[in-house]
Amino acid sequence: MRQRSLIAITAALSAGALTLTACGSRDSDDKGSDSGGTTVTIGIDAPLTGDLSALGLGIKNSVDLAAKTANKQKYVDGITFKIEALDDQAQPSSGQQNATKLVADKSVLGVVGPLNSSVAESMQKVFDDAKLVEVSPANTNPALTQGTDWATSKKRVYKSYFRTATTDAIQGPFAAQYLINDAKKKKVFVIDDKKTYGAGLAGTFTEEFKKLGGTVAGTEHINPDSKDFSAIATKVKTSGADVVYYGGEYPQAGPLSKQIKAAGAKIPVVGGDGIYSADFIKLAGATAAGDLATSVGAPVEQLPSAKEFVANYKTEGYKEAYEAYGGYSYDSAWAIIEAVKKVVDDNDGKLPDDARAKVTAAMQNVSFDGVTGKVSFDEFGDATNKQLTVYAVENGAWKPVKSGTYSG
Amino acid sequence: MSGVGPVEPGEGTHAWETPESVHAPAHASVHAPAHADAPGALGADASTPAARLLGGLVRRHAAHRRAASAVLATAVLLAGGGYLYATRPHDTEQAAPAPPFPSQVVDVSYLGEVAVPPGARPRTFAFDIVFGVESGPPVTVTRLAQPYLGLSLTSDPRAPFRTKAGSARKVVITMRVTECGKVPKNVGLPFVDVTLRNARAIQVHSFILGTRYAHDLSEALQVACSNDSGNHQNT
Repeated sequence: MRQRSLIAITAALSAGALTLTACGSRDSDDKGSDSGGTTVTIGIDAPLTGDLSALGLGIKNSVDLAAKTANKQKYVDGITFKIEALDDQAQPSSGQQNATKLVADKSVLGVVGPLNSSVAESMQKVFDDAKLVEVSPANTNPALTQGTDWATSKKRVYKSYFRTATTDAIQGPFAAQYLINDAKKKKVFVIDDKKTYGAGLAGTFTEEFKKLGGTVAGTEHINPDSKDFSAIATKVKTSGADVVYYGGEYPQAGPLSKQIKAAGAKIPVVGGDGIYSADFIKLAGATAAGDLATSVGAPVEQLPSAKEFVANYKTEGYKEAYEAYGGYSYDSAWAIIEAVKKVVDDNDGKLPDDARAKVTAAMQNVSFDGVTGKVSFDEFGDATNKQLTVYAVENGAWKPVKSGTYSG
Repeated sequence: MSGVGPVEPGEGTHAWETPESVHAPAHASVHAPAHADAPGALGADASTPAARLLGGLVRRHAAHRRAASAVLATAVLLAGGGYLYATRPHDTEQAAPAPPFPSQVVDVSYLGEVAVPPGARPRTFAFDIVFGVESGPPVTVTRLAQPYLGLSLTSDPRAPFRTKAGSARKVVITMRVTECGKVPKNVGLPFVDVTLRNARAIQVHSFILGTRYAHDLSEALQVACSNDSGNHQNT
């Protein structure tokens, strides 16, 4: 009898142990299968090749991560997300062709991108006519959301356009305030690449710099296809400027910085989020120390919400870094996922026939805690979370030196 | 040989190797004092209930020694495994999330211009702002400043002041123009620099209070310096 009891106890213990073992292995075994049912495509438009591909590939990977995460979590019941990434090579004409292609694919219910404001200009109408929502993680030109007369009279032009990044209406003045008040610079040489983003940013910077009592020692425009800026570098040197502000992107900003220093002007080159890339430092070389950039958002290491994103990005093993817009790209994609979820939930768990229009409408009220903080949009489609950070090149890397929050 | 048994019973030295040995008090007692916890210690007196029970067990054990040993070993192994599993370190216990950086939980917004108290020094004006903490540990404001030369700032309450999560407080910032030539007359996006401290970090963060604040500040500066021709030192 006692022997039987002992065997019974042993059996019970064995069963219990096996159950516990099973519980313990469940998490690691569950790799998250697809939700099944309907497939929804999230389009991506970004420069996946060319000079700006570092930023573009960071955008693509981050959107991919968001789609995978939603599928693993079965976040929208009955919906499986996939991505379709198209390369615009930072060219407006390519962007417009991509927009047309994405519109033609009926499974596409939202698009993340583009990187460049000039490309966005060429895509907005195509998407708006199709009522296909577009969320840019990187466009900063104010006119895209607030109209061309944004400085005097804000007017939303496209209801299908949203962005998670803040605008140059804040970024330019923020840089000017930092240079005047913190860096004690008084005389700036302003250079831009004549593009929508670069010229716009240089404009908002210059206006504020002058308001604060600074003077402009000279202005120049560069050809983005060129890498020889020696003539401009000489002008900078002879102007007596104590700082250079560049409106443009890192493929040109890097060589420009290097050549300005080589010309004998040992003054910092400052730019916006377009130069905030590790590639800028590579191109500019050792003399980039002390150069500055503003970029959208707070430093990733200060955002508890970004920790999981950074860890998951690493786990997925993407070859390219998420770069300046990774968190914003993830949040842009997740905003689309949230909008799809709202539409599906409101339609008895199915996508309605006019899903695109409904997703666009739902986007206006999307609100969630994202990688970059609270994600929601104002009446113009702009992000309500408006943080900026000034970074400086120190020991071959960008280091945050000051952050600000726009709360107006 | 010395009369002191092995520390742990080895093969052929087990105290309850045979039923007979259980009933050999003299033998057992030799070993017992040095190893009170050893199984042999229990065989001290066969007349006690414990000894009788043990004797029964030992007899059964002797009868089914191999099977019982295997079952017992398995049970001990499983129980040990279960214990280890049940007492395994949990992630949540291991690493409590670090408190948020203060700048990520603080909200500063502009309310409007307020009248300065009678008797205030010339070229003085004041604004109401709201300072709120959304979550995390309490946040202390250790310093409030504005960036322009020629302008001083004081606050009420005076820094340092502490605010708990989920609460907000109104703060009056009073500014005085000390040198008109060193203040901008038409600022675009002015901000206040706030030094924040919580359990995580000390940070200086700029709060850009928006276009209404920019308008009100510009107007106040223009009024304060309206009869001023430039580098006037207000004393």
